[in-house]
Amino acid sequence: MTPGIPIFSPMMPYGTGLTPQPIQNTNSLSILEEQQRQQQQQQQQQQQQQQQQQQAAVTTVTAAVQQSASQQAPQGASGQTPQLFHSQTLTTAPLPGTTPLYPSPMTPMTPITPATPASESSGIVPQLQNIVSTVNLGCKLDLKTIALRARNAEYNPKRFAAVIMRIREPRTTALIFSSGKMVCTGAKSEEQSRLAARKYARVVQKLGFPAKFLDFKIQNMVGSCDVKFPIRLEGLVLTHQQFSSYEPELFPGLIYRMIKPRIVLLIFVSGKVVLTGAKVRAEIYEAFENIYPILKGFRKTT
Amino acid sequence: MPGGGRCPDCGSTELVEDAHYSQSQLVCSDCGCVVTEGVLTTTFSDEGNLREVAYSRSTGENEQVTRSQQRGLRRVRDLCRVLQLPSTFEDTAVAYYQKAYQHPGIRAARLQKKEVLVGCCVLITCRQHNWPLTMGTICTLLYADLDMFSGTYMQIVKLLGLDVPSLCLADLVKTYCSSFKLFQASPSLPAKYMEDKEKMLSRTLQLVELADETWLVTGRHPLPVITAAAFLAWQSLQPSARLTCSLARFCKLANVDLPYPASSRLQELLAVLLRMAEQLAWLQVLKLDKRSVVKHISDLLQHRHTLIRKAFREGTLEVEALEKELQGRGPGQGQGKEEVGNSASELPEGKRPASPALLLPPCMLKPPKRVCPAPPASTVTGDENISDSEIEQYLRTPQEVRDFLRAQAAGQAATSNPNPP
Repeated sequence: MTPGIPIFSPMMPYGTGLTPQPIQNTNSLSILEEQQRQQQQQQQQQQQQQQQQQQAAVTTVTAAVQQSASQQAPQGASGQTPQLFHSQTLTTAPLPGTTPLYPSPMTPMTPITPATPASESSGIVPQLQNIVSTVNLGCKLDLKTIALRARNAEYNPKRFAAVIMRIREPRTTALIFSSGKMVCTGAKSEEQSRLAARKYARVVQKLGFPAKFLDFKIQNMVGSCDVKFPIRLEGLVLTHQQFSSYEPELFPGLIYRMIKPRIVLLIFVSGKVVLTGAKVRAEIYEAFENIYPILKGFRKTT
Repeated sequence: MPGGGRCPDCGSTELVEDAHYSQSQLVCSDCGCVVTEGVLTTTFSDEGNLREVAYSRSTGENEQVTRSQQRGLRRVRDLCRVLQLPSTFEDTAVAYYQKAYQHPGIRAARLQKKEVLVGCCVLITCRQHNWPLTMGTICTLLYADLDMFSGTYMQIVKLLGLDVPSLCLADLVKTYCSSFKLFQASPSLPAKYMEDKEKMLSRTLQLVELADETWLVTGRHPLPVITAAAFLAWQSLQPSARLTCSLARFCKLANVDLPYPASSRLQELLAVLLRMAEQLAWLQVLKLDKRSVVKHISDLLQHRHTLIRKAFREGTLEVEALEKELQGRGPGQGQGKEEVGNSASELPEGKRPASPALLLPPCMLKPPKRVCPAPPASTVTGDENISDSEIEQYLRTPQEVRDFLRAQAAGQAATSNPNPP
């Protein structure tokens, strides 16, 4: 990619060069170059459109920036911390007063690969069920004070050395440690996780601690979906022995450790698939697109 | 004569190095004053090469077999002998144990884990030679918890990078059924309950194969299915005498434990057999139920391949949902799909074989326990304003804090003074 074009633009459509293509894709350089050229053109278009829209909305955003002054920069109009740019933020809300550039959030974009026929795509999109993220509040905390003065906190030092705090919107749980580090779990999307972490930081701030919002990072994403046909797990473990672990005496599902991307899938006889271990949303989508043709192969009974 | 040294007493420069026993001393030869003394003990820095090192950090551990490793290897051999495994298995299991022991995580593990590791090595060896050994058996022999066993087993398979084949179902059936105490007359076994081993084995195998084909085995523990199949096989070989015997009593007679899921597996297997029976013309008229179908198991097994094909059809949940919807619209319309297929047979409605059921695992046929609505598409950006009022709802007011502290103090006073005067 040429410099100057932000690789991690939030408006990047799903299926561009960052997400590796399905298995049947060719690796020919010409197609890659063509993709890159298409991406560059699109991004330039996006950039121009974004700038136009953002200028209109800049007043409302600067007000927001001033309010959240203690939180980490960059908080500009297109501001998202670098880690989030990996995620395919199709659920990004349009800025106030602007029209969305892309249609409804949950439809995946078809990959820009001339070689891949449309029938290869499974048409099923895994739903994200849980996001685990961490953030550093940047100051030492007194957990007893927090537990005393917050309504939604529980603290039992004999059981666990952290305060467990919960908020209702987004419905999440946070573990707040005395070192100032915090773990936020239970959100259904990256943005919700970030918003929830900011709310916890704000609560801690209001309790009198100089909390900041440093190094927000998504650590794990869990998704699930249903292929809607039964799967012969015994067959799958025979053909994919080096990746699969199926012990019906211990657990009813098959544990499939995919190498690329590095995702663990739990595959059940009912056709439900749980994908976990992803740091970005695209890994989950990619892993499912990789496993779907394999599962289809086990659809027919003998 | 060392240069520059003067005796502090007399000021002479005549200093001699002398040794008083093992202690070196510098003595003035004029007045006999001891100027300096050597130290009797060595310093920490002197002892650099002589310092004591913990055994776990020395290489001695790698050179010789530690006592706990020796104990573990003995346990492996003992376990192989108790299970009456061939001698080649013993050597393989011992090799796996030694290999596992080289990893620091295993070497420093608790004794409980090392004990369970013995079982894991034996299990892996048996699996690789297709010797049917269940984890339950090993856990019983080692008095180990299945959770502990499963954790160690998964860890060691990953650590050693092993390919462990699945449990061989046919061999397990043979081994498990052979352990039933039904094949020889005994005072506790009524004569009519005694059975021929070969006949029972072959019929149990056929029933287990039937269960496998109809999705009753995938994802489930194999042993309850085998128990249910063995019970049905035994019953069907002499139904008149044995229909009154329950599954629990059968297991007691055979001197095996009744696994908890076996009764639901039995019901599932009977449901499959009933569906198959509906496809046989001479059985349709009998209007079989769960007890009477046992008498006809031999017929059903004889034609099982055809019957399964006729009684079941492949489907997915979507097809099923669609059909349920059609049925909901009108009872006549609902049978439309099947009727079209069966119209060629030209049999009157009552005698027509039942419409094929969907061949799906039971978990897909049962209605979902709770409906999980898809979450609404959220338009959160992560950068929204957070209003103060929203945060304040999570903070206690000063009054609440005071009340809470008071209540806490009262509670502590109560516990510290359990017998107030």
